[in-house]
Amino acid sequence: MRREKGFSLIEVLAALLILTLVITMSLAAFVERSKRLRQASETILAYQALANEAEYRRRIDFAALDTAQPQFISDTSLLAPLQPFATVVSVRQTQPGVKDVSMTVRWNNGLREAKLALVRVDTGGTNLW
Amino acid sequence: MVKRRTAGYTLLEVVVAMAVFGIFLMILGVLTVEMRAQEKRMPVNFLRHPQIVVVISKLRRDVQDAFSANPYPEVFREYSQSPKMLIVQSVQESGGVQTIVWDFRTSGEVHRHAYNVGVSTDWTARGLPADFSNSIEVDAVGIPGRPWGVRVTARDGEGRIAIDQILQPRAHQ
Repeated sequence: MRREKGFSLIEVLAALLILTLVITMSLAAFVERSKRLRQASETILAYQALANEAEYRRRIDFAALDTAQPQFISDTSLLAPLQPFATVVSVRQTQPGVKDVSMTVRWNNGLREAKLALVRVDTGGTNLW
Repeated sequence: MVKRRTAGYTLLEVVVAMAVFGIFLMILGVLTVEMRAQEKRMPVNFLRHPQIVVVISKLRRDVQDAFSANPYPEVFREYSQSPKMLIVQSVQESGGVQTIVWDFRTSGEVHRHAYNVGVSTDWTARGLPADFSNSIEVDAVGIPGRPWGVRVTARDGEGRIAIDQILQPRAHQ
């Protein structure tokens, strides 16, 4: 009798294949989870900065919206972990007396961005809203 | 006949096993280093903590409903404005104005005292992370010609800004 105990080559290879698949899938899931958690944290930072900027842009005179600086006026030190990042504000008149203010934060070499839009209406009087 | 080996592993088997183990160790090491670098770069995400989300949401509502000629009185009863305490006069659902004191002085806790015609209603959030409680600050922020709002900032244990939110009163008629 050639063999009484032990594993054949096929058995060992099959076991190794299964082990490799399990480990690879576990690692892939772990890496993907870490990546998504990081992206979520980055997005939360970006939207805090966007909301703060929106508070400033709400209070600029309607007529002066177009000439206000095209980058964020508010403090962006919160976005330090996203460096290098860029902030952009664009204003577009959609109809008489109505302007869309679009605020954007771009990071990760422009591969990721977060946007927040604000509609401003010319009330004719107070520029509070 | 001399039996050469009855138990144990050959050198080749040990080397292969160590090589496989070494590869796993290397992968684990790379992942750990990457995670550590990530942790150092990003602040702690306080906004994943349900209690903190509730505190910020309630605070936002109180500030957005701030109302009166001076919505942030310097002193109220035994309380006075400071980075660890916010006093705000806020509209309530009945239409009246109540004075609300947000107290961040106790580590791990946030207290909200609402005073309405001498009657106080207290609400407390407990179990907050110590680094959040120790770092949160509430400061009035001014935009020229506009009602003053409140800027809420909090840093994690490493001093990185984790929360920075500007809350502004909304118009009431």
